[in-house]
Amino acid sequence: MKLLPTRFLPERPLRLPRLRPYVPQPTDPPIFWFNPERDDIVREAVRRIVEQKAESGRVELVLNDVAYHEAERLERQRDAESRESLGFWRGVLRRVGRMSDAEKRETLRSITEHMVRDIAGNFDPRVYAFATKALPKLLTGVMSPSQLHTAMFEAQPHALDSLLITEGAIEKLRHLATRGTLVFVPTHSSNLDSIVLGYALMREGLPPVSYGAGKNLFTNPIISFFMHNLGAYRLDRRIKAGLYKDALKSYSTVLLERGYHSLFFPGGTRSRSGMIEQHLKLGLAGTAIEAFARNQSRGIDRPLWFVPTTINYALVLEAETLIEDHLKEQGKARYIIEDDEFSSVERWVDFFRKLSLLSSACVVRFGEPMDPFANPVDADGRSLAPDGRVVAAGSYVRRRGEPVVDAARDAAYTTLLGEAIAERFLRETVIMSTQLVAHVLFRAIVSATPGTDLFGRMRHRGDISVPIAKLCAEVGEARDALLALEREGLVHGSPALHGDPPEQLVERALQFWTGYHTAPVATHTGAEVVCEDPALLHYYGNRLVPFATRIATPAHAAAAREIALLGQRA
Amino acid sequence: MTLRVGIVGGGSFGRGLATAAARAGNDVVLWSRSARGGETAGFRTTDALGEVARAELLFVAVPSPHVREVARALGAHLDGAHLLVHVSRGLIGDELRSITRVLREETPVVRLGALAGPLVAEALAAGTPSGAVVGTLFPEVGAAVRQAIGGETLRIYTTDDVAGVEVGSALVGMLALATGFAMGIGSGPAALAVLCTRGLAEAQRVGARLGARERTFSGLAGFGDLVSAVAGDERPEIRLGRALAQGASLDEAARAAGAYIEGVSIARRVTRFAEGAGVEAPIAAATAAVVDGVLSPRDAMRSLMARQATPE
Repeated sequence: MKLLPTRFLPERPLRLPRLRPYVPQPTDPPIFWFNPERDDIVREAVRRIVEQKAESGRVELVLNDVAYHEAERLERQRDAESRESLGFWRGVLRRVGRMSDAEKRETLRSITEHMVRDIAGNFDPRVYAFATKALPKLLTGVMSPSQLHTAMFEAQPHALDSLLITEGAIEKLRHLATRGTLVFVPTHSSNLDSIVLGYALMREGLPPVSYGAGKNLFTNPIISFFMHNLGAYRLDRRIKAGLYKDALKSYSTVLLERGYHSLFFPGGTRSRSGMIEQHLKLGLAGTAIEAFARNQSRGIDRPLWFVPTTINYALVLEAETLIEDHLKEQGKARYIIEDDEFSSVERWVDFFRKLSLLSSACVVRFGEPMDPFANPVDADGRSLAPDGRVVAAGSYVRRRGEPVVDAARDAAYTTLLGEAIAERFLRETVIMSTQLVAHVLFRAIVSATPGTDLFGRMRHRGDISVPIAKLCAEVGEARDALLALEREGLVHGSPALHGDPPEQLVERALQFWTGYHTAPVATHTGAEVVCEDPALLHYYGNRLVPFATRIATPAHAAAAREIALLGQRA
Repeated sequence: MTLRVGIVGGGSFGRGLATAAARAGNDVVLWSRSARGGETAGFRTTDALGEVARAELLFVAVPSPHVREVARALGAHLDGAHLLVHVSRGLIGDELRSITRVLREETPVVRLGALAGPLVAEALAAGTPSGAVVGTLFPEVGAAVRQAIGGETLRIYTTDDVAGVEVGSALVGMLALATGFAMGIGSGPAALAVLCTRGLAEAQRVGARLGARERTFSGLAGFGDLVSAVAGDERPEIRLGRALAQGASLDEAARAAGAYIEGVSIARRVTRFAEGAGVEAPIAAATAAVVDGVLSPRDAMRSLMARQATPE
């Protein structure tokens, strides 16, 4: 089902007409100031790129590179955009050799400006106000239409609130949000993540964030409208030219320098395997370190903190497509998924209907903030040395007593920060009942199929089962072991994991799966639980891969070691 | 522009570094527990860590078992602006934790490096030609080390494979000990070559489990360092191995070698680590067995030679 015929969709997402400009209040979060500052931000981002290319004498090279890559892309694309722009790029390729230096520079400036404008977002306080007040109620309506009337007109807690649990360093973050810049770096499992996190921030009185979203997410017009008007900027993954990456980095750096709270998914794309991401490249998040150093070098001592955050779902909207992609592409280059459950309105409705019957389907856990050099910080955000002494964060960008901007140094800091965030992801992960039950069932598949590889195991659909009593006992054992790890501060368990007896955990997991995923994941027949879909059990169970050997009893040690190896290969 | 260089540790290597850095025209201060203050060979000495922390580049030159304690005390005087490089040939504990990791755990410094290679105290002090490699993620750390001690007689290379440099340097120490045994029982050049070559292959396998890249072991921190030891750079590990082979007790041998020998304890720990990680480390196991008196050097050599040979 499509909401609108695509030919009516404008190339740019809709914005509300501006009748009277919003005048930001001093207490508003920084992003409320974005629209009046946007032109200035774009200009600054463009100026830096053009100056840097001119200084390094690479203007002609960059023009050739961008024109070549864009012409090549558009020749392949053969769409409206090709008809409109291909001629321009071919023209640049033809003319660049004859241009004067001033012409080259001007061409580079106008191309860069076009790119940065295409990237730049929008923040509409009216949309924000609407989203804060009415959206949760409307979503409640989608989830259970019978509640719509009461939800809209009564100030009761609505169904969405019971679905989402928020925990962690919330109070500290609220305080820090007024003193510096927060950079949220969450795990990434679903395209719903930015929406869920946006909602969690709103509900907890944390400021809205600016973030980059793939242009493919802007295909759903309603989502597009909200994302675009709530501070999302657009990333076009099809553009391969180096200049585009520079444009993104420059734009992101300027935003961070000016103190806009931001959100980056450091893993890059959604975790295909369901595992907690461990090899973080950080990408644009690395621009935060440069932004910090640039501010320091200009005498602006604005602190900036990274907030490792985990978004933990009992049920993942796009689980089927993700794990299929993981299995298909393992070891090869991954492709961009253009069309999955996220773009299907029917799947959304199914998903939220399913969730409305249950509670605590998602836990967002905000970890302890850290400075850009992975140091812990005190309640006021001051960086702490291992002995608990306060150290100046600015000292990390100083050389011979002076704060300096140094790309090579910042690349090294970024690598180390990626390692620190990956480590924190493990500790801040909240294990959900579906993940625990899936892990125990997948472990049973591994035990029952010795010497088989992963792909062989995927073919055991519905022919491996576990007696319900045995399953409950094993879930109970694994849960207890996991809670022991939690006491050591190594991981967290969801509220259900803490409170419910194993029988209920199993029932709850089966309930979550039944009715949403197109094929059954596991079914309870008589005294047995049958493993119906090894791929989805693998997917949900993968969240526990880093803990597999530590939660296995000796009887399952061999299977657990095999599962742990999957984590090393990933 | 002169660089302020601090050396933490008053052993022969620390003094060698201080001499070399002073010779290069830098402002050098050396900390040692027993320093009486004053100036020798162009550098100042002190027993106050706060004094040495005024330097921008600091070398930590203490034996690996003391690194944590010294780093903790030193850390109280440091901040994020310091560059910290260690020269300790070792890995800590049964999980073979790297020294840079310990420095990060105990100090606020992030710009860290490890200096390794065929560099010995005597060459540093005398300025005879030599070379070394700095493992660091930070190019500015490599540049600072080069400015501090590099020059006409000392080539300083850099790599970002910090783990490779640290594991390489620690395991070459162990291999030098094993080579000392082999020399002590009269093994010929071919036997030494087999021992060294297979020893480096073993170091690569263990290193890979600790995040090191294989090719780093063919660099100065691995191959280069081992060649220097075998060629007779008067390394204490070789002296210790020889003494043990000639029937000295561990205590007597250590006295004869005259320095702290990391290789003694690391052989045991590498053996345990390799068992846990499912990596073959027969040379580490044989070295540990000799050090512990379980096998004689001759029996250890025989047991290594009797192993089934596989494709190289």
